[in-house]
Amino acid sequence: EGPPSCSNGCERCSEYNGCIKCKPKLFILLERNDIRQIGVCLASCPQGYFGMRTPDTNRCIQCKIENCEECFNRNFCTKCKEGLYSHRGRCYPSCPEGLSTTNGTMECVE
Amino acid sequence: APRAVIKVTLLRHEPTGKPITLEGLFVGGSAGYAEGKLMQSHPLSLCNTSEDERQESDFISIVKLESPERKVPQCLPLLKKARLALERGAQAVIFDVTDDKDAALELHESDSLPLPVVLVKAKDAEELMGLVNKNEEARVRIDIKKEDPKWPHYD
Amino acid sequence: LDTSTHTDSRRLRDLEGLTETMGAQVGDCPSRCHCEEDGMLQRVDCSDLGLTDIPANLSVFTSYLDLSMNNLTLLSSGALSNLHFLEELRLAGNDLTHIPKGAFYGLFNLKVLMLQNNQLRRVPGEALQNLRNLQSLRLDANHISSVPRGCFDGLQSLRHLWLDDNSLTEVPADALGALSSLQAMTLALNRITHIPDRAFTNLSSLVVLHLNNNRIRTLGTQCFDGLHSLETLDLNYNNLEEFPIAIRALSTLKELGFHSNNIKSIPEQAFTGHSTLLTMTITGARITSLPTTVCDQLPNLQVLDLSYNMIQALPSFRGCEKIQKIDLHHNEIEELQADTFQGLTSLRSLDLAWNKLSSLNPLSFSSLPALIKLDLTSNRLSYLPVSGLHGLTHLKLAGNEDLQELLPAESLPKLRVMELPYAFQCCAFVSCEKHSSPWDRDNNHNGKDDFGRREGILNSDSFSDLLLDFDDEPKSHHTVQCSPSPGPFRPCHHL
Repeated sequence: EGPPSCSNGCERCSEYNGCIKCKPKLFILLERNDIRQIGVCLASCPQGYFGMRTPDTNRCIQCKIENCEECFNRNFCTKCKEGLYSHRGRCYPSCPEGLSTTNGTMECVE
Repeated sequence: APRAVIKVTLLRHEPTGKPITLEGLFVGGSAGYAEGKLMQSHPLSLCNTSEDERQESDFISIVKLESPERKVPQCLPLLKKARLALERGAQAVIFDVTDDKDAALELHESDSLPLPVVLVKAKDAEELMGLVNKNEEARVRIDIKKEDPKWPHYD
Repeated sequence: LDTSTHTDSRRLRDLEGLTETMGAQVGDCPSRCHCEEDGMLQRVDCSDLGLTDIPANLSVFTSYLDLSMNNLTLLSSGALSNLHFLEELRLAGNDLTHIPKGAFYGLFNLKVLMLQNNQLRRVPGEALQNLRNLQSLRLDANHISSVPRGCFDGLQSLRHLWLDDNSLTEVPADALGALSSLQAMTLALNRITHIPDRAFTNLSSLVVLHLNNNRIRTLGTQCFDGLHSLETLDLNYNNLEEFPIAIRALSTLKELGFHSNNIKSIPEQAFTGHSTLLTMTITGARITSLPTTVCDQLPNLQVLDLSYNMIQALPSFRGCEKIQKIDLHHNEIEELQADTFQGLTSLRSLDLAWNKLSSLNPLSFSSLPALIKLDLTSNRLSYLPVSGLHGLTHLKLAGNEDLQELLPAESLPKLRVMELPYAFQCCAFVSCEKHSSPWDRDNNHNGKDDFGRREGILNSDSFSDLLLDFDDEPKSHHTVQCSPSPGPFRPCHHL
């Protein structure tokens, strides 16, 4: 492995850090690969991450919800892992009490 | 500030076992001993929203600082970045300041860093970052370099 | 396929029937694209290929199609009409300025549509009309300034909507009226200045609402009416001058943030009806005081962040029995009363750094059984009352020049991470004999014992992390870390 090359979306590439600044509107993901951690530019963040936009930079941030594959922000899941039920942005092995699924979806409703 | 001696032992490739010896400079009263696995931290990673949660417990972070002209958004002052890395489990933090001479000044203002923070540059930094670029697993041991007294016979 | 649901088994039967009748080629993969089999279906990645048009020979069994980061400027009507099994369509990072009616015709099973980072100026309502199964719609990072009435009609399954980083100057209340199933929405990074009454009145299922980084100066007193399910409200980085009393309508609110505004005070009954609130962040405002009955109104509060304000005096927090973390750093607090933190049996982290504390009541911390982290950095203390601090693992006192006494180590038995004003104060907590370099013991790798108690560190938890991180603190080995460390240049001999 030599110096990390940078993808098209990169505006400023570094010999050691990968991308250090992405083109506007793209998200930077700090990708861990064994001992290296390099910046990669993406149009949307990978599974397990959500895109947080701020005035100065757009970053991929890890979801912090158990059993979640994709999230809207740290605490709200948009897609639970297979076989799990979702309710208000959380993932459950079965629907919480008083709730049930409708028309074959994996979402629990009142 | 006291000098640091950095001993790097490769874990997978030759010459395993025989440490590479490099030098650095301790920052802000943080002189001391530390040992751990070498792990790169992207300069953008040490921000409060940073997402590199705790890796294994026993690692030493190395951060290649880009030159100020490259305008990497500085989410936190370097001192806070160092603290954040230590709070996230790093046994020590090494900053490659080859391209950012001001970093040394910025980091020197503190004297209450709980663990070693070391600046490296030029040949020593190049060696370390070369290992990182080759994704070489390495164990790093940092300690205070013993200086030979200037007037050995002075009584 | 998510085989555990009834709709999917019915779709499987349709698939097998379709394959026989059409004899279609499941294996078609457009040139230069990357395709993966997904049972009968196919996932196609044609991203970042410089395409100016949608590939022609897409398999009818395409379930996922990524056309991100190409140079598409136009989507012709019916371009994707035979992709009945398509569930996710990614068109992010292209140059679409307009999407015609019929562009998404035939996509009966579409669940995720990504249009972020294009050049759209208005929401392409005509194209979205019949997407009944659409759950996630990304329109962020465009130039949208117009959200026509009715543009979301028909999106009865929509759960997640991104409209952040656009040019909206007002909340598109009319258009949003159709989205009763919506659960999460961001309007952040726009130019909204005011939120009128009943702006979100039909969004009874909305759980998350991000309005941060706008220019919101005023709120209608009933602007949040109708948000019966809202749990997270983010008003950070706006121009609010008054405390948003409209939050009274939000009876299920758990997380409220409006830091970096210009709010100067919090009215006495500001949080009436907010017993569910768990986290509140009001940093970077100019708040000078807190309601005296703040904890009566917020009995379930767990995290309170009031850092970077101008608070001079604190009320008693008695009643906040569930509070676990209080951040008050960077304020102007001068003293603590005996009952300020009385009875906070769940409090684990208390950050009072960068205040003007000069005198502490001896009982200030006496009844905090769960307290493990106390930060009093940069105050004006000359004395630390240790009563009740026996459980402390992290203590920061640096920057209190007048605090020159030795701290009684026996009253602080569990301390592991300390930052004290003077090096000699660390001597009580770390080994005092001269520090020999471990290099002298190269062949003896256990380096630990000869170096006394100060060898390495336990993973100290971040002061700034939210309480959720407290629990995963591995106890691999017990070590003590004290700074400024009485290393070879500041020996403890004179003690």
